[in-house]
Amino acid sequence: MSEPEEGTTTPSRREARRVRRASAKQRGAWYPRWFWPSFATPAIVWQILFFAASFYVILAIAFGTQDFFRNPLPVFQPWWWDFSTFTDQLGRIFGGVYQDVYLRTFGYVLTASLTCLLIGYPIAYFVARYGGRRKGLFLALLIMPFWISYLMRMYAWQSLLERDGYVNDVLTFLQVFQEPFGWLEGHGITVVIGLVYGYMPYLILPLYGQLDRIDQSQLEAGRDLGASPARTFWRVTLPLSKPGILAGLIIITLPMFGDYYTNALLSQSPRTTMIGNLIDLTYVTPGLAAQGASLVLTIVVILIVPMLWYLRYTARAAEAK
Amino acid sequence: MKTATREPVATTTPTTPRSHIPWFGNPWRKPRILEAITWVYLAWSVLPVTIAVLFSFNQGRSRSSWQGFSLTWWWEDPYESLFRNPLLRPAIFQSFRLAILTTLIAVPIGTAFAIGLDRWRGRPATAANFSVLMAFVVPEIILGLALFLSFEHLLTFIPLGTVAQVIGLVTWQIAYAVIIVRARLLTIGREYEEAAMDLGASPTKSIRRVLLPLLTPAMFASAAIVFADSIDDFVTVRYLSAASDTEPLSVKIYNAARASPTPAVNAAATFMLISTFTIITLGFIAYRVLTRGQRRESAVKEFVSLEV
Amino acid sequence: MPEPREHLLRRRGPTSELSRRRFLRASASTAIALPSLSAVLAACSKPGTEAPEGATAPAGTTGPYPLARTDNPVTLPIHDDIQPIEDNLPVETGATLKIYNWADYMWKKVINDFCEEFNCDYEWTTFNNMSEAIQKMSTGQVADVFFPTVDQLGKLTYGKLLQPLNLSYIPNLAANMWPQYQNPFYDQEARYTVPYTTYTTGVAYRRDVIPDEEAEAQGYDLIWNPQYSGKVGIYDDARESLAMAMRRAGVDDVNTTDEATIQAAKDDLVELIDLVNVRTTINGVYVKLPDGVYDVHQSWSGDIIGAQWYLSDLNTPGETDILGYWYPPDNVGVVGNDVISIPANAEHPVLAHAFLNFMMDETHAFDNFTWNGYQPPLTSMNPEKLIEAEMGAYAPNKGPGTVPPSVPRAVVTEEMFDKGMWLLELAPEDELKWQTAWEEFQAGAGA
Repeated sequence: MSEPEEGTTTPSRREARRVRRASAKQRGAWYPRWFWPSFATPAIVWQILFFAASFYVILAIAFGTQDFFRNPLPVFQPWWWDFSTFTDQLGRIFGGVYQDVYLRTFGYVLTASLTCLLIGYPIAYFVARYGGRRKGLFLALLIMPFWISYLMRMYAWQSLLERDGYVNDVLTFLQVFQEPFGWLEGHGITVVIGLVYGYMPYLILPLYGQLDRIDQSQLEAGRDLGASPARTFWRVTLPLSKPGILAGLIIITLPMFGDYYTNALLSQSPRTTMIGNLIDLTYVTPGLAAQGASLVLTIVVILIVPMLWYLRYTARAAEAK
Repeated sequence: MKTATREPVATTTPTTPRSHIPWFGNPWRKPRILEAITWVYLAWSVLPVTIAVLFSFNQGRSRSSWQGFSLTWWWEDPYESLFRNPLLRPAIFQSFRLAILTTLIAVPIGTAFAIGLDRWRGRPATAANFSVLMAFVVPEIILGLALFLSFEHLLTFIPLGTVAQVIGLVTWQIAYAVIIVRARLLTIGREYEEAAMDLGASPTKSIRRVLLPLLTPAMFASAAIVFADSIDDFVTVRYLSAASDTEPLSVKIYNAARASPTPAVNAAATFMLISTFTIITLGFIAYRVLTRGQRRESAVKEFVSLEV
Repeated sequence: MPEPREHLLRRRGPTSELSRRRFLRASASTAIALPSLSAVLAACSKPGTEAPEGATAPAGTTGPYPLARTDNPVTLPIHDDIQPIEDNLPVETGATLKIYNWADYMWKKVINDFCEEFNCDYEWTTFNNMSEAIQKMSTGQVADVFFPTVDQLGKLTYGKLLQPLNLSYIPNLAANMWPQYQNPFYDQEARYTVPYTTYTTGVAYRRDVIPDEEAEAQGYDLIWNPQYSGKVGIYDDARESLAMAMRRAGVDDVNTTDEATIQAAKDDLVELIDLVNVRTTINGVYVKLPDGVYDVHQSWSGDIIGAQWYLSDLNTPGETDILGYWYPPDNVGVVGNDVISIPANAEHPVLAHAFLNFMMDETHAFDNFTWNGYQPPLTSMNPEKLIEAEMGAYAPNKGPGTVPPSVPRAVVTEEMFDKGMWLLELAPEDELKWQTAWEEFQAGAGA
């Protein structure tokens, strides 16, 4: 992440280090070479053992074989890899039985993310610019959902959305519906609402962070030059908040692609099956591990670009601090 | 009613030529619509949960119609209540066990890594940092399944259950400690340590006597966050659980929500909520106390910026 | 007085339902292929540690052991090194009976009664599915009694995980149980198992929406009736759901390996998606049908009996009237049963035998049934008795029997089992056909 910079600044940095080390040595105390690396070692070992190795197992199983009982037999030597299960899965995704699930997932995630943005932006904007002395209060309220487990929040909706639940009570009272609507009877809209509700806080916070960093004087400058408020917003605020928007969108779309519990709790219909549900099915059904591994690979391929972008973004933000 | 509201608008229109809507003309005025959206959103985000909490005190079995206040589902019912149900009670302990173990492992490893990364910046460290953050942003179901398959087929000496669950959680919870401690390291710089070493302290001593105390607030903050996040976790721990007695409360809630939800599940969820909030509040207070006298920014804000 | 019913209601823990054996079956019934046989047979390492050569079992074979069918009974092997216990041994006293079971598949009171009688303690360990249980047992989980499903018996016995029974300790098997369980097709001579519970798979419906005559006329078509759109559910279970579609189409072999038959059944299920917006559930019958979320749901007989404990107003007399259950009138349909066994490594085998015998005692079996909803195959349990008799510690009101009068067909009879069809173990490659079809249905595809 910080490597590009490292490449360019290494000489000077090395120089500085040498100077410092020299002076430190004179003073009689310096860290041995192994000193700092030893701090990082446990985490490095951990990551190799559990993160890198796990993903290698995914590859070994997706490209591996199976025994007679269809238990996966991972193949750890790349030269023996067999891509037939994986290509079978790809065939099911492109033009096959899974195509609808993938398209649907994209549809849900996109709709939910944009809805989150549409609702979340004004809120983040308001708190960042007009929060004033109440900023702390607003922030506390905004982060509160973070500490309420996602499950609990979905679970709460489950009872609210029942046919005789409060949502229908309110909607029929307001005459939006003539009779109660069966929210939980397998509708995409319910799943999208669930996703919006579940992931909104994760969007608002980074967005707020970005908006809060915008220098008020830049806005004033815009206005002093005669721009209308709308124009100031459009030409100054919005472009300046773009990284926050992107970061927020990515931070919510990534988990949404792997979400299966929203659907499981709010719909249960094959009509609203998402990719996450397919993966979960391979977990609960024995003998489908190779398929599961293949599905995981497809998601990783889909998400790798936004993930890398996000990592770079956060790294840069950290440098900027 | 209608005419009454319309009339004043008609008379004021000529006095604000730039805009037909007065508040729109003055950007420094209070944006009432934005504020309204914010409050409606906040209500929307908190209300369902509040209702769910209330229904844990429902007398009857319904989660959607109020049948009177009681502690039936918390304590009174000898079979089904949260604290007396023979399946839920161990689940509470399992939740705490996982959260505590995860915190105890993730925070030290993460802190050490952040220090090492900050001072060393070698290639392996950068790569490991990338891996830590990657594990953090990758959808949990992917990491969960990957770890599950790994424990089943490669690291077979690690049994599913508590050990596997803690390992799974630590793998991505480290990230919190790394991010938070690193941010703190950047703000405190190296001067204090170097000063200590100038005064003749050994490297280990300067770390122990100078750096660690300075990092304590950050470690507290990350411990609180890791604890709160692990106690709520569901995807990773579900995939890595073994027998049903290794399923923590979150998994029981998911199971029950799909099977036979009763207000006892609301009670279970409420209990988790209270635990989480207590820990977060304690962490927050500790953070504030420990950073007293330092940069006076809104502590909430700082806590938030650590979060993301 | 509503007392007894309140009591009934309490019996089900909030989390218990998901971990209930019925649900578990959802993941287990498709689970036949689960633990590598080689792993079980060798009782050793996990699959991944073996070389890929194991993958080369010839296609088209049925596996290393015969698959039980009603017309192809199997006799499970007895190994030289695992013999039944001697006759006339004294029951271990002061012991701790280790029970390895599905969560909440047995009433704790019955176990307490047992321990009182035999002066023992008990330790209750649960598993979530068969694969997990077998895996654990092959790596040292110790238990005295174990509750397997019928389709796992080959793996369990060839893998030397069970011990043969000494039936001289279990007189109740001969005395109380149906004749067919004296010599069941899946375990000839009852070498390793005694029956625990039985069930049929039919269709549950709300009688306030659908009159009995109409349900009778429609049968399986209740599920395919657009009139109930949005209120139709099927089990989240590949074998059960596809088998129902097959029975509707008149297929006689519900363990079919014929690709075309399986695909046709899948197409029929897929049709449900648009026709009635079908949903797949595990609690549709016993929680959601009483709640009015579903009007029609595929149903195990034990679930519809359990549904009475979930009716929202227990105090209104006659409220169970709304529950209806249809099972093919000619008694040709899908049935199943679960069994109890004694693991090879049991520490208290005599006590374990006593426990098996105890569970087939009429009073205790009935007690357990009133709590569990799944009926043990006792000859004395006929519809009259179950619906009307005043029996069993958990029977609601001690008045109307355990089975609500509105669902007489939920009582399992010997005739149903004579004519019934079991969902049995398939060869792995055939299992895959079923699983793939189910996945395609779950993906909502193919329509």
